[in-house]
Amino acid sequence: MNTLIALLLAFPLVFVISLLFDGIDRKLHARMQRRIGPPIIQPLYDFIKLFSKERIVPTTASSRIFTVSPIFAAVASIMGTSILLANLMLRENTGGDLIVVLYLLAMSSVLVMVGGSSSGNPYGAIGFSRKMSMLIAYEVPLLLSILSVSLKINSLSYYDIISVQIAAKSMLALTFPSMAVAATAFLICIPATADAVPFDVSEAKTEIVHGPLVEYGGPFLALFKLAKSASNLALTLLATTLFFYLPAVFRVYALPGLSDLLICLVFALIFWFLTITVPRTIFARLKVGQAFKFYWLVALPLSVTAVLLSVLGL
Amino acid sequence: MVDKHDEVKKIEVDYTRLRIPFGPVHPALKEPVLLRVTVRREEVLDVDVVLGHVHRGIEVLAENRNLVQTLYLVERVCGICSHSHTTCYVQALEEIGGIQPPERALYLRTLIFELERIHSHLFLLGVMAHEIGFDTLFMFTWYVREKILDLFEKVTGNRVHHAMNTLGGVRWDLNQHMVDDIRATMKDLQKSVHRIYNFFQDKTVEKRLCDVGVLSKDDAERLCVVGPTARGSGVDMDVRRDHPYAAYTYLKDYFSVAVREKGDVYARTEVRLLELFESISLIQKVLEELPNGPIRVEDNVIRLMRRIPEGEVISLVEAPRGELLYFVKTDGKEGLRRLKIRTPTIPNVLTLKPMLVGCEIADIPVVVASIDPCMACANRLIVVDATTDSKKIVDMDFLRRRRQA
Repeated sequence: MNTLIALLLAFPLVFVISLLFDGIDRKLHARMQRRIGPPIIQPLYDFIKLFSKERIVPTTASSRIFTVSPIFAAVASIMGTSILLANLMLRENTGGDLIVVLYLLAMSSVLVMVGGSSSGNPYGAIGFSRKMSMLIAYEVPLLLSILSVSLKINSLSYYDIISVQIAAKSMLALTFPSMAVAATAFLICIPATADAVPFDVSEAKTEIVHGPLVEYGGPFLALFKLAKSASNLALTLLATTLFFYLPAVFRVYALPGLSDLLICLVFALIFWFLTITVPRTIFARLKVGQAFKFYWLVALPLSVTAVLLSVLGL
Repeated sequence: MVDKHDEVKKIEVDYTRLRIPFGPVHPALKEPVLLRVTVRREEVLDVDVVLGHVHRGIEVLAENRNLVQTLYLVERVCGICSHSHTTCYVQALEEIGGIQPPERALYLRTLIFELERIHSHLFLLGVMAHEIGFDTLFMFTWYVREKILDLFEKVTGNRVHHAMNTLGGVRWDLNQHMVDDIRATMKDLQKSVHRIYNFFQDKTVEKRLCDVGVLSKDDAERLCVVGPTARGSGVDMDVRRDHPYAAYTYLKDYFSVAVREKGDVYARTEVRLLELFESISLIQKVLEELPNGPIRVEDNVIRLMRRIPEGEVISLVEAPRGELLYFVKTDGKEGLRRLKIRTPTIPNVLTLKPMLVGCEIADIPVVVASIDPCMACANRLIVVDATTDSKKIVDMDFLRRRRQA
């Protein structure tokens, strides 16, 4: 029962927090470019405005897939993020472990692809093939780094991993060398998962006109944007809690209220800034081949090393 | 009927080939042009350039106006190199009418010319950064460019269409305050351009620009490529040095022509970056050497216009994008019999095909931007290529004649 209430509470929370974080990201990005930037709640305005717009389904699109995939994408990624938040709010395992979360996040990426390819636009098709390559490039190291964590802790439950850190009064990434390597691999994968420059090849605006999103507008686009922000929040939250559970160090988990959740969210924002905002400010976009090479030559060896190290017990 | 059916059956459809319309409206393009690109996965197999989306019939309009009205018309051929167009046109008229503008006017023309080159190159470098997804560099470059536009406003009163040139001179003079302003801005600019130069040597930028869209020297010469596009491919040409005009006659020794041999996008970008430094030092030189005296032959333009007899002249200037050519034929009755404008984009846009075939889709916007296309300038001819196998290039004979001259 508690779980249900927590999940129901988490749903609107994810909606607000992820869009707010997106707004902060845009503001900081603008400030680093000497621009004033939009107000922090601009993504919320955008969401509301896009929902008041007309729903356009191109005649070339297979309309059912085209309209359904944004809804499912948003639901999947919000659900994934809500599970994490519910775990943190209740401070116990609430069912739904890491595999479910990662599955839901991957699903929202796949649905973007499917929606784009169903639009009948050639740019959507190119975006599909690019996103496919990128998925293969970053999903493997991402999953391997999570796998190394669960191998280390011997559990796939999300809160078990946090409990271990609380018990040890330390962060996982700073305790074991294998976890430090896994954390690095995970953080490297975040910009690609978030489709941020330099790895935004699947959406490259100046090359393929936002790829899969090219035919989307109005409520559908709003849902896809929400899905993207929510999955970004989930990823940064995962990085914070799995590898760097700071409340364990500050020992605030015993305090009343949701202080540990707040600290986690603040550090999720910091990770968002470091892994999404900073790269997209200081780098140029890579080509799909170059991005693929980077992930298979840098992130994959790192995550394989992490798995090997945790198997070896380091 | 049966035959037709068989024929249809025989056609093998290659589903791996995808034909994408790159334009006429596309976020990577600042002006409408259509590139019909055939791709297989990421590789570009064929390109077909279709121009004509912003044709405005300026040459015909010019034939219906008098000489001075046309001066303001040609300024509107292009929003970036408006001063190049008027200078080229006014030079032709002065040649026909035997009018010698005073030296100070020539220097002022050169000053605006070089400011315009800086502003145009910064514009392009920003666009280039935007195409490769480096928005921070894009914002910074345009922030720097804004200072040049401010200078334009201070000196001529207009940011884009400066209306600086008039028959037999220029319309506005510099005062000491403006000179100081320009000097100070140039000093700032030198630092900023150094920063931009360093930015462009960033690893991710080089990854996108090096060895992309290579144009060999042979191809460059065969297609009569001009300007930074030619200089990036090792063709050492610059109208300012080869056929000096305005005050370049006196300033010939104070600038060097940047040439790069590699012919890729990075070479073309680097040429423009180096030209920025040359332009800055040239402007400082102009301010030093600026002679005193009148800025135009006569205040009454109409009286001057009436003195221009029948005649025809070809005039050349080095616009920021390359050699700009005007063929002017006056009728001796204050009007024009023919005005032919050959903008640098016309030869340069033809290079898109050899550059793009074999590239990736990701390279298309970068390569297109690297020739600094000005579509509004170029829309007077139709080039049909590849798919229909017919080539129609308007006035190629004319270009050949010019080359021999």
